[in-house]
Amino acid sequence: MLTFKVLSLLLRYPSEEIHAALREMPAVLEEEQLVPAPRRKALLALIGELQGMDVIAAQERYGELFDRGRKLSLHIFEHTHGESRDRGPAMVQLMNNYQECGFELAARELPDYVPLVLEFLAERPLEEATEMLGEAMPVLTLVAARLHERGSRYAAVLDALEAIAGAPDAADELRRKAAEEGPDEAIINMDKIWEEEAITFTHESALEGCGNNGAATTLEQPVQWDIGLRRTTTAPDSNR
Amino acid sequence: MSQILKRLTYFKRERTSFSGEHGILTTDDRAWEDSYRQRQQHDKIVRSTHGVNCTGGCSWKIYVKNGLVTWEIQQTDYPRTRPDMPNHEPRGCPRGASYSWYLYSANRLKYPLIRGRLLRLWRKAREQHGDPVTAWGSIVEDPDKGKEYKSKRGMGGFVRGDWEEVTELVAAANVYTIKKYGPDRVAGFSPIPAMSMISYAAGTRYLSLIGGVCLSFYDWYCDLPPASPQTWGEQTDVPESADWYNSAFIIMWGSNVPQTRSPDAHFMTEVRYRGTKTVVVSPDYSEGSKFADIWLHPKQGTDAAVAMAMGHVILREWHLDGTSEYFDSYVRQYTDMPMLVKLEKQNGRWVPGRYLRASDFSDGLGQKNNPEWKTIALEEGSDDFVLPHGSIGFRWGEDRKRKGRWNLEPKDARDGKERKLRLTLLDKHDDAVPVAFPYFGGGEQASKHWSHTQHEAILERVVPVRKITLADGEEALVTTVFDLSCANYGLDRGLGGENVAADFDDDLPYTPAWQERITGVPRDRLITVARQFAENAHKTHGKSMVIIGAGMNHWYHMDMNYRGVINMLMMCGCIGQSGGGWAHYVGQEKLRPQTGWLPLAFALDWARPPRQMNSTSFFYMHSSQWRYEKLKISEILSPLADPAQFTGSVVDYNVRAERMGWLPSAPQLSRNPLEIVRDATAAGVDPKEYVVQGLKDGSLGFASEDPDAPNNYPRNIFIWRSNLLGASGKGHEYFLKYFMGAESQHGVLGLDLGKDEGEVKPEEVVWRERAVEGKLDLMCTLDFRMSTTCLYSDVVLPTATWYEKDDLNTTDMHPFIHPLSKAVDPAWESRSDWDIYKTIARKFSEVTQGHLGVEKDIVTVPILHDSPGELAQPLDVKEWKKGECEPIPGKTMPNLAVIERDYPNTYRKFTSLGPLMDTLGNGGKGITWKTEEEVQKLGALNKTVDIEGVSQGRPRIDSPIDACETILMLAPETNGEVAVKAWAALSKITGRDHTHLARPKQDEKIRFRDLLAQPRKIISSPTWSGLESEHVSYNAGYTNVHELIPWRTLSGRQQFYQDHPWMRGFGEDLCVYKPPVDTKTIAPIKGHHPNGNPEIVLNFITPHQKWGIHSTYTDNLIMLTLSRGGPIIWMSEVDAKKADIEDNDWIEAYNINGAITARSVVSQRIPEGMAMMYHAQEKLVHTPGSEMTGRRGGIHNSVTRTVLKPTHMIGGYAQLSWGFNYYGTVGSNRDEFIIVRRMDKVDWLAGAPRHILTKVEGE
Repeated sequence: MLTFKVLSLLLRYPSEEIHAALREMPAVLEEEQLVPAPRRKALLALIGELQGMDVIAAQERYGELFDRGRKLSLHIFEHTHGESRDRGPAMVQLMNNYQECGFELAARELPDYVPLVLEFLAERPLEEATEMLGEAMPVLTLVAARLHERGSRYAAVLDALEAIAGAPDAADELRRKAAEEGPDEAIINMDKIWEEEAITFTHESALEGCGNNGAATTLEQPVQWDIGLRRTTTAPDSNR
Repeated sequence: MSQILKRLTYFKRERTSFSGEHGILTTDDRAWEDSYRQRQQHDKIVRSTHGVNCTGGCSWKIYVKNGLVTWEIQQTDYPRTRPDMPNHEPRGCPRGASYSWYLYSANRLKYPLIRGRLLRLWRKAREQHGDPVTAWGSIVEDPDKGKEYKSKRGMGGFVRGDWEEVTELVAAANVYTIKKYGPDRVAGFSPIPAMSMISYAAGTRYLSLIGGVCLSFYDWYCDLPPASPQTWGEQTDVPESADWYNSAFIIMWGSNVPQTRSPDAHFMTEVRYRGTKTVVVSPDYSEGSKFADIWLHPKQGTDAAVAMAMGHVILREWHLDGTSEYFDSYVRQYTDMPMLVKLEKQNGRWVPGRYLRASDFSDGLGQKNNPEWKTIALEEGSDDFVLPHGSIGFRWGEDRKRKGRWNLEPKDARDGKERKLRLTLLDKHDDAVPVAFPYFGGGEQASKHWSHTQHEAILERVVPVRKITLADGEEALVTTVFDLSCANYGLDRGLGGENVAADFDDDLPYTPAWQERITGVPRDRLITVARQFAENAHKTHGKSMVIIGAGMNHWYHMDMNYRGVINMLMMCGCIGQSGGGWAHYVGQEKLRPQTGWLPLAFALDWARPPRQMNSTSFFYMHSSQWRYEKLKISEILSPLADPAQFTGSVVDYNVRAERMGWLPSAPQLSRNPLEIVRDATAAGVDPKEYVVQGLKDGSLGFASEDPDAPNNYPRNIFIWRSNLLGASGKGHEYFLKYFMGAESQHGVLGLDLGKDEGEVKPEEVVWRERAVEGKLDLMCTLDFRMSTTCLYSDVVLPTATWYEKDDLNTTDMHPFIHPLSKAVDPAWESRSDWDIYKTIARKFSEVTQGHLGVEKDIVTVPILHDSPGELAQPLDVKEWKKGECEPIPGKTMPNLAVIERDYPNTYRKFTSLGPLMDTLGNGGKGITWKTEEEVQKLGALNKTVDIEGVSQGRPRIDSPIDACETILMLAPETNGEVAVKAWAALSKITGRDHTHLARPKQDEKIRFRDLLAQPRKIISSPTWSGLESEHVSYNAGYTNVHELIPWRTLSGRQQFYQDHPWMRGFGEDLCVYKPPVDTKTIAPIKGHHPNGNPEIVLNFITPHQKWGIHSTYTDNLIMLTLSRGGPIIWMSEVDAKKADIEDNDWIEAYNINGAITARSVVSQRIPEGMAMMYHAQEKLVHTPGSEMTGRRGGIHNSVTRTVLKPTHMIGGYAQLSWGFNYYGTVGSNRDEFIIVRRMDKVDWLAGAPRHILTKVEGE
């Protein structure tokens, strides 16, 4: 569906070329009707806003939002894997997924970049695209919530995706989390959020978490989302 | 039923246990393990390392799958050490292990960035003018346009740029600046080439080709220990870490080995199992302290007092009352202790003067060549004067017949006969006279935060002397350095008089009892350490070692801390002995193939000399820190000096040093050097003549004489491989205000000299009421992550990470040369530093059209160490500006060189090896050799250029690997043939054959791909004073002691004594204790802006940290999680209580330089009166607004300001001559104090920038 392509372009760095293509986008959205009406209105508002802006100003704003820091990163694994070692294998897995569908990465970009994923989805049957998107929704909803907190119209793009794939189970919780973070990425409630439980050195606590109990009894595997997101397991926390 | 029926014969029960029920065997499904196995699958493994300034140089395996880096682990295949020694592996640390995720993290710089406001101006101007250079001019010459983007530096507003467009802008800025203001108005800063030497060379090669200025770093970081050039004429040379294992007694002094030398620490812990004793001297209970058999914790900043007292004990017990044959013969042969010093009369008192020289004798002792530069001793027994081999006069200018006496053979140079030099005159003197020594521990001028004693500022001690008649008929008194030293250490030698101690318990400088009052170290413990240190050295012939670091070197009077320790090592014969000596590692990543690298890095293959500048003076000047200088010369001058001869302020000394050719200048002269040559030529005058004449009649000046004049400050700067503003930039807030012009961002809280009543202005520098804010027109930074420096830049270019480029890495900690290699292509639009500068060079060549052609440039060059010019003014200091002498280039003023710059061919030259290698050869440290053969072989290896033009037929240097091969081919350390040539060249000067040191490896040639297979050990070369062999580990000074190669000092020996008039003037002719200086940053502001919480004043210490290497890794989530996750300041429980601060409270630390916001860490580790903030935590993560400045809290350098020291400006005087990163002013920072208080409101400054400041003084 071309709608995904439009959404992909909207989330990309607003180059001159994209800027020029803005005027064609409403028609695609109208025609495909993939995004339901209220959400579509918000999208049109974003398009209108971008059209009314000087390109450089739009670029500055994009950079401030998405190129600085983790909170609004458009790389999905930044949110799920962050700095962990799982990130490499997850990206590899995702690339395999593209390859199996006959697509080679042709740009110097990582496979989990949202506009890239959307471009891929645009080439896939809607059902498959929706399913894949569904798996990414926890991240996308969180980023959307953060954009709302900042009053950014860019939230409309992610809201549109949510409307297509359905809200994730924990949507409200994610929104609450975003609201708690406050307006700045430096968090006023930082201490509370990061507070760890005090360690007590008892016999029981020593045995807890040292072990193989979880691992040996479950066949569930650590992170293997086909595009790397399905964090199915509560696999052995000690091994994470 | 019988057992046989019941018992299983062929089976056992499934569930069996072992180890007494502690273990059981199960057969549960293990499929879950597969997911972990899959994770380990990969396409290839590549060797690389981390080019971060840590001296690690560790080998890592980088795992790659589908073109993506998946993880890294430590490599374990280093070449073996010798039998009976541990191997190097595995090297690495948690910081390096977390590197790979920088590659794909949100913090990665992915695209070229440019300030949106500048881009808008640029596109408009470009449209309007067509020509890019004219377009740039139209922006920067319009004050409103300039302000439009400069004032927003640090406030975001970046947009992605296109490589072509952005590099064109950079190139146009350079061309415009060169044309209008001069090439020396373009500068570049990048540190520590050894960590990725090709990337470093990329930028400096470009800058050198266009005549730009390369800025030093080692001195600016204050990691350069000036005591090393002073004592040895050597920048820094140290044992590799494996040599710790050869030591029998180790003192870790101000160095936190397990924390800051993680991959090497094992040698220290291992040798303890062999019985080696370890002592730690550190004011706080550092990680290293845990490894100590004895932990001494003196008050911070008083280490020189500890060292002086230890020296007192060692001299007393091993050189006066007791003896050691080993120590005795060592100091006679390898130090200046037997050299004679003339006493001078000053204000009716005898004071130590200069070394006696051959020129003091009627016929110059038969020396036609350099008699003023040859030192004199007496023979033991006969009492004849001896002209010993090895002084610097023998190094330069000797004719063919007389060459070969620059060595440490114990011979008289006149007849070549062996002579034993007399150490002391005690048993045979003409007289014993009181000689005056300065005492700085009385606290008259020093900060009140240290303990002082009530001894007089001038202490007279009786010294045995000999009377002699000099050539000019003067009756002179002379004595030996040994006798002066004993008096200086306050040792009673039975000659009577006051101020000398016979007992360690006497309260006199420098007894153990005296130091107890200043340092707090119990005297008995200090005596124990000194005794055992010396006893061990005596028994093992020098295997006592001091590992020393930033904790000692970052103080204003670091020379005294270091010389105090070095003196102990020299007294005990530890320098140049395996397992002994001086191990200073901070900031010192040894560029092992240095002489192969120099031509590449500074484009010496195309033009010589390059423009190089000492950063400390440069930044002090151009970030206008001098305008706030409160330290008066009278506060640091010796009480024995004549104040009339030492007038003016600190900056005046720097200007004088520049004019006399002691220090470099940048920008150099008050006019565009291209224009100067043009005018001279038009007038038919030789350009050099023209400059000399102009300086003399005042029509031409030095830029530093009026640094705020529009012609006289730097306009463009490149920063790469560095985080100048987030890590090393002392006086951070001054940088923001003056250098960057970030007017709403800086937090300078003090007043400059113009607004502060009663402050005296400099003598040599024009004072302009309004200083320029925003000197830089263009700041271009290359990095792989968005550092603090990037935030303030105009153009940010994304570089390849350490797993995405080919490069070379070496360190002082191990003897291997190691590659960085391209495991994957640079991600997103990033490029390697080499490729970036190549692109800029190409653009530059294009846009020169119509602006720059083949131009002539005049370069001022300071008098350089290791060049014949270092013999400039032998006996006293004369200034041409004062009319005391004529301005003579290379003698009394800088050298002048006219250089042709073929600007349109910059790119061609960048990418090929130029012809000067064939005609002038190569070399380093005062020796040269021919390189035609290597050039030819390199041409065969890299192929030659076939395009017509300047570079046709020359070896190509196109790719970074070509550049690596160039270094490897030219360097003696990696090409055995060159090593033999280099040793042969040195042999001619010393008269001794050294080629045997490299002959066994003559046929060895190391190539880049050899290094990918395994790191390779370097070949021994005369560039370094240690050897790499199957018998010894690398140790500094080894060839001086064992090959009798002189140290590159005035006397050719290790010098206890420094006889330059300025050294004497500032009381540092001999080592003394000097307390930290008073930086005066507290009183003007303390209590003026209360927030309701108590304020306390603490000394501000910034050691190297555990969760980052400088600022790198500090924004990495893994490291943030291991630490507190943001800026923190450590303090003692006692101080915290006083200020009502609890652990983890938000606190503010400030003084007149600026303010920091951070969390408190309240710990028993820290002694009272001191605060510790790990260098360098940036203001990128968790930094709220400051209550003082209203801006976001700063970095650790927000509360510092550079204060220069005049003795570091001395030049043209043997070892005290300037060299790039060799000698010069250093940026000390530990004498600083801060006011600490709990924050009242934590404001995250969310949304639009606000200015909540009630009142910033001075605004």
